[in-house]
Amino acid sequence: MTGDERATPPGTPVAERDDERRREGRRVTERKSDNVRAAIRNEIGADDPNAGRPDGPPPEAEAVIELDHVYLAFENPILEDVSFVARKGETICVVGESGSGKSISLKLILRLLVPDKGKVMISGKDITGLTFKEALAVRQRMGMVFQGAALFDSMSVFENIAYPLREHTKLDENEIEQRVREKLQFVDLEPDRVMEQLPSELSGGMRKRVGIARGIADNPEIMLYDEPTSGLDPLTTGIITRLIMKLQRELHVTSVVVSHDIRSVFRMATRVAVLYNRKVVFFGTPEEMAASDDKYLRDFLGGF
Amino acid sequence: MADLTTRLSKAIKVRLDTVQSYFALAGRAIGFIFARPFYTQDWIQQMDEIGVKSLGIVLLTGFFTGMVLALQSSVSLQTFGATMYIGRLVSASMIRELGPVLAGLMVAGRVGSGIAAQLGSMRVTEQIDALNTLGTDPIKKLVTPRVLAALIMLPVLTVINDFVGILGGNLISTLMIGIPSGLYWRTVWEQIASDGFTLRFIPNDFVQGITKPFVFGGIISISACFFGLNTTGGTEGVGQATTRTVVFSSILILIVDYFLTQILLTLFAP
Repeated sequence: MTGDERATPPGTPVAERDDERRREGRRVTERKSDNVRAAIRNEIGADDPNAGRPDGPPPEAEAVIELDHVYLAFENPILEDVSFVARKGETICVVGESGSGKSISLKLILRLLVPDKGKVMISGKDITGLTFKEALAVRQRMGMVFQGAALFDSMSVFENIAYPLREHTKLDENEIEQRVREKLQFVDLEPDRVMEQLPSELSGGMRKRVGIARGIADNPEIMLYDEPTSGLDPLTTGIITRLIMKLQRELHVTSVVVSHDIRSVFRMATRVAVLYNRKVVFFGTPEEMAASDDKYLRDFLGGF
Repeated sequence: MADLTTRLSKAIKVRLDTVQSYFALAGRAIGFIFARPFYTQDWIQQMDEIGVKSLGIVLLTGFFTGMVLALQSSVSLQTFGATMYIGRLVSASMIRELGPVLAGLMVAGRVGSGIAAQLGSMRVTEQIDALNTLGTDPIKKLVTPRVLAALIMLPVLTVINDFVGILGGNLISTLMIGIPSGLYWRTVWEQIASDGFTLRFIPNDFVQGITKPFVFGGIISISACFFGLNTTGGTEGVGQATTRTVVFSSILILIVDYFLTQILLTLFAP
């Protein structure tokens, strides 16, 4: 599955079905309260037509990330029968209350944790049984942005972004510098200004952006974000959200975003998975979510 | 009663698991010394951190220990009119026992706590996860360079500690007790020679004096990395990891020292 397939010309059955699904979603939405409708319209890129929420991929697109009936428990059960699929080029947002196991699901995808039961598939291959070394190879296909950015505080911004390149590629120093500059520009940071700085000298939003730059340095196919907008002011939240959408649009990466910032979720998600009480209680498009009558979902959306 | 048994067996299981993962960490860290890629830069940096930067406290400790040894032993030896044997006493105590153990304890306090705090903060700020995510084995990148540096640097620090200790003894015995330097150093050497030689030219005292810090270096670095990497519970956890490292490695050094002395005295009897 390449980017070409995503651009299926209008008129083909797939696109029609897809459109119909979306139209249906919108129809349902319109039956809901005016407040919700207005709020969603406002969030879905009303300020910038080019930054609108991405369309979901056709349903038959390759499943890149798949959690299949996953169970996990430490002292207490954390995830029970959790399943969701991210298809090629999709941005899945995993939402839920704090402590509902959202971040754990990212660690399962990275195979930093192995489920007690169930499968975690990357491009159709079960990764739960891999050796440590094989898991390192799978992780190289992924970029991860940690909640606190997790930049190596003993290294400069340049060294942080260059780290995955030095570890896994044979690029020479010039190529590495070029790549680092390119990625910094992608996240709207001035390379000459920040490259030599230490992470401790950066603001929270800048650290997040450097974290994203490090995540995409080795051109991963999959991006994982753990609370990318938590603790940021509304402006920076907007910048980070647009950045995640830009990555999806321009690089066609498949993303899983763990968040409880419902506004940005509505902007960038192609589909949303809601975790509640260790289970996935909802998995569908933001429109379907807004239109749902489920009490918990309505409570969760709260003032939105 | 049954409840007590289950709780007890669970507690024992947790302890055994901990011991097992401690040795697993040690095994992997040491195994990685010989496996590519070599993080040479990290290793050199740790040699500086553990060795060079500990020089100050080791010099101070050694010097004052040597001085106080001379002072104390002069009082006891005077009653037998044997003050000329101060050199023997100082050198035997420093090289066999006090040099290795004191260097070990000082490094456990200075370096062990530092390593535990650093790795602990890296754990709680998800930097360890980030390393894993970026395809690096944190044990190879973080633990192996520290263990290797400690294994090399602790014996070096100990030799320096021994030397300045004996020098401290020299100062006191010459200035305060009136033993000529030449006599002092001759008795020092007599003591070393009297314990016999391994392979004809390596004094047995040196074998003891070098084996111990080598083992202590392993204990300190592996304990610090173990407690650091297993930190849980945010900044408070980092504090706990640091305390545990210093307490655990200090006690282990003293216990292992006893058994090591037993073994070495049997193996290298004069």
